[in-house]
Amino acid sequence: MRHLLAALGAAAALGAVAAGPPEPLAARVAPRAGRVEASLDLSAAFPAATERDFGNGLTNVVAIYVSVVPDGSRAPAALYGRVVEILFDVWEETYAVTVKDPRAPQGVHYVLPDFAALRRFLSEARGVDLGPVQALPGAPYHLEARVEVNPVSREQLQRTREYIANPAAGTRTSGGTRSVLGAVASFLLREPDPGSDVHLFRSRSFAPGAAASGAGR
Amino acid sequence: MSGAPSLVRRAAGALRVSRFEAKIAVALVVSATLPLLGALLLAGKLAEENLALGLDPRVVERLEAVPALYGDLFQARKQLYAEQARALARGLPRDRGRTHAYLESALAKTPRLRRVSLHAADGAVVAEAETQAENPEGEWREAPARVALPGGGRLDCTFAIEARYFAELGEAREVGELVQGVDALRSEIRRSYVRAFALLLVAWAAGAAAIGILLARRTTRRVTRLVGAVRQLASGDLSVQVDPGRANDEVAGLARAFNAMVREVRESRDRIVYLEKISGWQDVARRLAHEIKNPLTPMKLAFQQLEARWKATRVRDPDFGKLLGEAGEIVREEIGTLQRLVDEFSAFAKLPEVRSEPSELGAFVKEFLRTSKQLGAAAELSVVKASGPCPVALDRQLMRRVLTNLCQNAIDAARPARARIHLGIARTRERAVLTVADEGPGIDRDLWDRIFDPYFTTKGVGGTGLGLAIVKKIVLQHGGEIQVGDRPGGGASFTIALPLAPEAQRAA
Repeated sequence: MRHLLAALGAAAALGAVAAGPPEPLAARVAPRAGRVEASLDLSAAFPAATERDFGNGLTNVVAIYVSVVPDGSRAPAALYGRVVEILFDVWEETYAVTVKDPRAPQGVHYVLPDFAALRRFLSEARGVDLGPVQALPGAPYHLEARVEVNPVSREQLQRTREYIANPAAGTRTSGGTRSVLGAVASFLLREPDPGSDVHLFRSRSFAPGAAASGAGR
Repeated sequence: MSGAPSLVRRAAGALRVSRFEAKIAVALVVSATLPLLGALLLAGKLAEENLALGLDPRVVERLEAVPALYGDLFQARKQLYAEQARALARGLPRDRGRTHAYLESALAKTPRLRRVSLHAADGAVVAEAETQAENPEGEWREAPARVALPGGGRLDCTFAIEARYFAELGEAREVGELVQGVDALRSEIRRSYVRAFALLLVAWAAGAAAIGILLARRTTRRVTRLVGAVRQLASGDLSVQVDPGRANDEVAGLARAFNAMVREVRESRDRIVYLEKISGWQDVARRLAHEIKNPLTPMKLAFQQLEARWKATRVRDPDFGKLLGEAGEIVREEIGTLQRLVDEFSAFAKLPEVRSEPSELGAFVKEFLRTSKQLGAAAELSVVKASGPCPVALDRQLMRRVLTNLCQNAIDAARPARARIHLGIARTRERAVLTVADEGPGIDRDLWDRIFDPYFTTKGVGGTGLGLAIVKKIVLQHGGEIQVGDRPGGGASFTIALPLAPEAQRAA
């Protein structure tokens, strides 16, 4: 959870710095049990061409970071992060999806029958918890979303560290002699830049009371 | 309370690096790391090339495509099973009574078919068959195939698909994801290798520096100790010695030479001091002898005149005559004692200068024993020669006096018993050693420091305390040393060390 929040902060800061996309992000905010939940349309981040990637039988990861940023400011007032793991089951021919966010750090599992359903699921980001209603800015604000497709996850980073520290173990041909240089290199391996498959979105401006009235689009 | 600061001081001292140590360390660091610096420049390139070899885009692409290949395989199997199920459905007998036999036959004929069931339109099972035979391809998973029958009902088939495919798929996915991650981290991996190499280089350099300092410190500490010893020597401390250690290098040689030099200086100083002291005492002896000797003759003559007048007197008082006779004996005896004392003082004061001539110590000792009959009569003398020739420069007359005095002391110490005196001759690298030992009561250790002082005697009234002083002076004038000690087994021992003749030292 701490790592997730750290990633959220870093991502939000990056998002705040980056320039917004030309088309405003279609977003709706609504109150729910004293908290603000947003629904976002992220379909621009998931074109039809992504079927080839998401259906390759490997685990694909989509990280979605949403921040509430007061207009004219760059510091986010609220943050939300969601990590979606997608694995196409080549036998069942279904998409096994696991969604992890602060409310469900262990993940909520879904099985989606086809890419269309997956695309819908990813595009319509619902239940984005932006925190208590009273924590929203008292001034006009907007939502910024950052979607990273297949960023290097901590698990991937860890696996890579183990691999370069002990490359022989990966081949399963020898007893796994550890490489000193590799061990040091694995220790010094840092998280890479997010890469090029990053999508930034910015919604239109919301009035301070918009969340209470369920405003959107 | 002073323990902690002392510890801190010691720690600070241990961490302080001298300029020499720093130079050695720098030399080692440079020689150890200079070749590696070039390697560091190549490390990035090397890592990049290795990654390019290991992560060929075609390999990565193919590995990522492996799960899709399994998907294609599964698709093909599914289509095959569907076709086989449809073929079974087409062959279903119209007579329901033969259906079970048909299904049993189908199980036997259709590869990988494990179970088949015919369902009526309402879902009820009309007939079913299942094989219990082992799957020839090992462990398997169910692959269902369903065919809807015309007029309602369905045929459900369960085929076997090899379980190993799923295990292989899992493994292929794991490798594919790993390679995908490594590929995504390619640049970062290259940088991490360069960082690792640089870090190891720094560690290598630090290790080299530490080793250099340790190696240098082994030498510099000894040099520092030598410098300290030289300062002590300069401040007048002639007892300073330096531990040369177990090493056999130039510094150890320097330490040994220093120690020898200090010993030499100390012995020279002691010799000079002693000779000066002896010279002073000789002067005193000369004056005393002169002052005592001068009145002795008038005293002697006066008493002789008194005795002559008494003999010439006609009227004699017998009592006075007796008194005069007794007094005469006393006067003559005391004058004789004084005369002997004067003679000894004079002899001590007039010790001649040493006139050395080449001699062989063993031969000299033998000659001394042969020509000293009176000593042989008073004591049992034995000689042990423990080495080869000992060529030395001796003043034979003076050295005879040395041996005579030492043997006489042994005889005196043994009285009333007959003395047993052991003479030993040996040689070291630079010295010839003559030992004169007896089996007498020995000499108290507390007296060793004073035993060679003039006028110091343990003999009481009979001794003048000049014998050993004369012995030491003669030995010192020969460039040698004399030491008193205990004889193992009891008795006193005097050890005289004389310098070997130069040619003998060179030969040694």
